[in-house]
Amino acid sequence: MSGTLLAVMGLSALTWACKGAGSLLPRIPEPLARRTAGLAPALLAGLVVTEVLDGNWLPRLDAKAAGVAVALVLAWRRTPLPVTVVAGAAVAALLRALA
Amino acid sequence: MVRKAPRSTLFAALPVAAAVGVFGVSYGVLGTAAGIPGWQLVLLSVCTFAGSAQFAFVSAFATGAGPLGAIVSGGLLNTRYLATGAVAAQVLPGGRLRRLLLAQLVVDESYVLAVAAGTPARPDPGVLVAAGALEWLCWVTGSAVGVLIGNVLGDPARLGFDAAFPALFIALLWPLLDGPGARRCALGGALAAALVAPWAPGGVPLAAAALAGLLLSGRDGAGTPAGPPDERGDVT
Repeated sequence: MSGTLLAVMGLSALTWACKGAGSLLPRIPEPLARRTAGLAPALLAGLVVTEVLDGNWLPRLDAKAAGVAVALVLAWRRTPLPVTVVAGAAVAALLRALA
Repeated sequence: MVRKAPRSTLFAALPVAAAVGVFGVSYGVLGTAAGIPGWQLVLLSVCTFAGSAQFAFVSAFATGAGPLGAIVSGGLLNTRYLATGAVAAQVLPGGRLRRLLLAQLVVDESYVLAVAAGTPARPDPGVLVAAGALEWLCWVTGSAVGVLIGNVLGDPARLGFDAAFPALFIALLWPLLDGPGARRCALGGALAAALVAPWAPGGVPLAAAALAGLLLSGRDGAGTPAGPPDERGDVT
């Protein structure tokens, strides 16, 4: 069996365990449920930051950053999600094509 | 927060599912470029259904971190599903086995939609399952399509796929920032990730962001600034 297939099975098993633990364990206390409300905004913000920083202290001002900036403006203007995503990708692709 | 009808939320789920499908395509393309066999990429999508973890998985192979690094970084990313899965288990129907199966449909995108239709403490189970199933279908189909066209497309960065990810996360995050608690958690998550990212790879910055979100969530809940007490966290 190859290493990649082992990794596929390992990550699948871990994910099933993480997603399913709440269903198997006794019901969790109410304060904990309320506390988890902050997970989604914190993680999404963390994902944006890790994507933009890409392992550096400061973001690189490249085509990707330009696409992210456009997405940020569109999200602020409450543009529908698919438009925001496609516009962000299109700006990055366009700048790369021009470069 | 005004409760939205599930119907309108399901309508909102369609573009989200389409976006998930598009990201499935980019996952297939990037995974193929990383040298992972196509059928294993699709198998991972079928069994795991955790987009960001699967991208961390692919990037681990692309950067030579190996199978163990791929499992660790992908698994760390998925620790957040311990919390979301526990919340989901309170609203999902059926016995333990059925809830265990349905809980596999909990991903960031379906969870956010279910919270929008319900409350952060009680996500709408109908939206959670319906949106999750639709997104799973789009994710698996997109992954297969991405694998098929992976060799033809060439460099995914040329098409701006790399910018599409933060754009999606921004678009998903913005509607959640409707209260001081949510903004505090988002800021804390961003800072924690920014401080950890230069030192630790893969899923560690996201685990730090998750921890910040847990610590900064007020007792009032991050997304419910002024809901009536009977609509917030009335765990039965």
